[in-house]
Amino acid sequence: MDKRSFVLRNRKLIIVLTLLLAAVATVPLFSLKINPDLESYLPDNIESRINNNKVGEMFGTKEPIVVILSTEDVLAPQTLERIDNLTSSFLDMGILSPVQSLSTAKNIRSEDGMMLVDPVIESYPQDDDEIEELRESIRQNDLAYKLLVSEDFKNTMILLNSDLSVKDAELMNMIDSVINLYPGSEEVLINGQPYLRGEANEKISKDIMILLPLGLLLMLIFFWISFREFKGVILPFGVVLISIAISMSLIPLLGWELSIIGVLIPIMMIAIANNYGVHFIARYQELNATDPNTTMEEIVEEALSYLKRPVVICGLTTIVGILGLTVHILLPASQMGVVSAIGIAIALLLSLTFIPALLSFLKKGALHFHPDGESRSLIAKMLNSIGKLLARHPKRVLAGFAILFLATASGIAAMGVASDFNNILPAKHPFNKSIDIANSEFGGSKLMTAVFEGDIKDPGLLKRMEHYESELVKVNGIGSATSIAKIIRKMSTALNDPNEEGYNKIPDDRDAVAQYVELYSMNGDPADFEQFVDFDYTKAAMTIQFNAEGMRDLERVIASVDNIIGDDPALSFTGGYSLVEKEMSESIVRGQYYSLLFAFVAIFILLAIIFKSISAGLLGSLPLLFAVVCTFGFMGWSGIKLDIVTALLSSVSIGLGVDFTIHMFWRMKSEIASGREYRDAAVTALKTAGRGITINALSVMLGFSILFFSSFPIIKSFALLIILSLLFCLVSSLLLVPAICVTFKPGFLKNGKRYEKSV
Amino acid sequence: MENDMKRVFKYFNTLTIILVTSSFAASQNPREISKKSADAIALGSMEMTTTLKIFDAKGNARSRTLNMASRKFGDVTKMMMKFTDPADVKGTSILIYDYEERADEMWIYMPALKKTRRVVSNERGKNFMGSEFTNADMSKPNIEDFDYKIISSENINGRACHVIEATPVSQESLQSNGFSKKVSYIDKENYLCYKIEYYDLKGKILKTQTIGDYRPVEGGSYFYYEMEMKNEQNGRKSVLKTEKFKPQSQMTEAQFSPSNLDK
Repeated sequence: MDKRSFVLRNRKLIIVLTLLLAAVATVPLFSLKINPDLESYLPDNIESRINNNKVGEMFGTKEPIVVILSTEDVLAPQTLERIDNLTSSFLDMGILSPVQSLSTAKNIRSEDGMMLVDPVIESYPQDDDEIEELRESIRQNDLAYKLLVSEDFKNTMILLNSDLSVKDAELMNMIDSVINLYPGSEEVLINGQPYLRGEANEKISKDIMILLPLGLLLMLIFFWISFREFKGVILPFGVVLISIAISMSLIPLLGWELSIIGVLIPIMMIAIANNYGVHFIARYQELNATDPNTTMEEIVEEALSYLKRPVVICGLTTIVGILGLTVHILLPASQMGVVSAIGIAIALLLSLTFIPALLSFLKKGALHFHPDGESRSLIAKMLNSIGKLLARHPKRVLAGFAILFLATASGIAAMGVASDFNNILPAKHPFNKSIDIANSEFGGSKLMTAVFEGDIKDPGLLKRMEHYESELVKVNGIGSATSIAKIIRKMSTALNDPNEEGYNKIPDDRDAVAQYVELYSMNGDPADFEQFVDFDYTKAAMTIQFNAEGMRDLERVIASVDNIIGDDPALSFTGGYSLVEKEMSESIVRGQYYSLLFAFVAIFILLAIIFKSISAGLLGSLPLLFAVVCTFGFMGWSGIKLDIVTALLSSVSIGLGVDFTIHMFWRMKSEIASGREYRDAAVTALKTAGRGITINALSVMLGFSILFFSSFPIIKSFALLIILSLLFCLVSSLLLVPAICVTFKPGFLKNGKRYEKSV
Repeated sequence: MENDMKRVFKYFNTLTIILVTSSFAASQNPREISKKSADAIALGSMEMTTTLKIFDAKGNARSRTLNMASRKFGDVTKMMMKFTDPADVKGTSILIYDYEERADEMWIYMPALKKTRRVVSNERGKNFMGSEFTNADMSKPNIEDFDYKIISSENINGRACHVIEATPVSQESLQSNGFSKKVSYIDKENYLCYKIEYYDLKGKILKTQTIGDYRPVEGGSYFYYEMEMKNEQNGRKSVLKTEKFKPQSQMTEAQFSPSNLDK
């Protein structure tokens, strides 16, 4: 009977199967689709989405796009002409109506007993006097001033409403080509979800095109520096490639699409999937160097039996940590959890099957093992000093940690949650510049809609709505509140002279309201009213335009709105994209808690099982808790908000960070079993396992640092935070864990047989 | 000069038709057909009661009943409309003086305010009463605004029809009409038009108008008692159903005055 291990006995089959799997995995990659629409990932049955859809059904399912023109004075004739040209071209597109701009705005007023309806811009002003005259008339027009033109007349808006019949990229191309058809000196900025999605879509594919090759190249260099041997480069590299291909091809296979979060998946694979293979190559080189006479097959057998257990355990804990993401309510997060967990499992499996199988066929290379190589001496020195510090002053180390913990943790109070997804794009991107202008010069970039139900022509209801409008704009952050009530009041100024009783007020008589409305609908496009009132006047929408920075501010505005209109018997519900964004952000926070809880519990159980001790579970979770709390604290201090991407990091860092602690426990246990004291065991563990842990941590951090080259600021923030978080994990497993062990001498390290030494 | 141009156009059109449908010749001039079709309808001086139903895309309906009268005095056509239903707008009246050479004048009377208000608008809504009909649909088309071409023959409701395509002659006419072409289905025998398709500026179908229930009126012409306009792009639809029609209004000029609106 063949006494070789399973892997060596079936090595040909393993190699063939692996290559076959790799080939098959590349096929679905071609059907991988990008979906940058974050809202589409929210479950359909979420209240804010239901309400938002209801608003769409009642008042038209349209998506606003805002084109802002910025210049010294928007009333300059050439600017007005450009607005005219752009407006009529947008109208001609047929899919963007209603189009609202200075060109379409009407001036309805009363003069000498007559009702006058004029375009705001009747003709282009010829001199300064005419410009000032026009400026004054716009200031008097509360349906244009501060809504279509900013207070300082430096910015003007063209409001478009996409009927969703054209894809984002195509629509934005059409809009761009109209803008380019009428060039001018004004700066043109665009915002709106179709634009954001279009830009994100482009950047997601660009990111993968740049980050993936860059990451792979960096890894190749890292492997070459580490091993200086072709085998050492190509084997772990192959495993990483295959696991990337498999995890990415799972996305279309499971019927999913690539979101902005998907950019993280291949980079995570690069950072993590090489770990296990690297251990194997390192062990092979070590064995080759220690006994040059052994055969390749012997080396492979030896390395395999030595590494099997620690590698499997570390792999499992990482997988468990990342699986924490699957309890996330936001689909891209749980998808990433599933896909990367499977990817890592494949990497783990291949490192223990494919690498040894293939390696056993290859010739032994030259000796490359330099246990005290120059590159490692710095780490050795550092670990040496840590060891000394630990041996002399374990309590001081603990106190130091306590202080650091409290100082950083206090930042948690300041930690904010992002209330929108504008920070997906860089701050100086035209999208965010236009958001800034909308916030500072116009009523705000966020919209909320309050829907009232009842007899909309009832003067009582209209008067209440008018009252709410005047109260709402007093709230800090709310720029405007507009409803049919405002339009009816405006009509009254056209149908009554200023000295008459009915001037500038909602009429007391329902018939009068009906007749105002009739007159307005006779004069305008039937679609003019659609956004404010439904066809049979039983539902009316009040559009509240506001500005909020972060979740707390958003909650404050929403609470104020609720305070003002919440008790009205006719109020049906409030909806709007801002509320969807809010619910998404809330689900991000909730998802973060769930996945944290899941990861902690799972890791606790795993540690307790591995070391057969509850206190091992508790003690092992401590560095992770420290790292998570400190990372959140850092976010608070630095102002980085919890968002759709940064919310993922704690699961990832827990999954990776726990490995460091396991290695330390393992080695200390082994040292104590061989008769050493806790103190000596800790110092030895530091010098031996500590080195492996440090190198491992650095390579993972290096892998994640690729994300600094992303075009998404939120992914760059993720890179910073994950690196920092891993650093916290590293430091606490090198210092906190041994310091606690030295001080409290936990029993689980003492009992049981002597374990094999690991890395 | 202008006449010369028109003659050239006419000649050119005739030439086209000779080339396209050589068997028919002069009697099949599409401009003539279109003119005859317009003349077959008794628009201009009349009195009528009509109900306008406006449907949204989901099929919800809004109904308005109006009494309308129009009569020409010199170079001005005066038109009066009075709502009789629904109750909340009953009595609301509109008076329009449509001058041939200058801007329209308009007054509105609102019973709830008990006063007549003159409305001066440089932006007269293109839509009639907020419906899918345009104000132009309510009056005779200006034959000279378009070039005509017979494109085929087709049967509508068992009647043989010319299918005539009309395209605006100038940029100005294109802008003021708001469509790039219209295709009319005109009865070969009595020149009644049963259907008109309007195309938007990009050449996509915009609206379909169906005209029916023609009844002969005094003086040898006809009037349509039912007209529907369907917006093919947004799904909205408006139906105009005439209950009573009388050609040749007998109302006096004094009755078409703003002071008479509240009567």
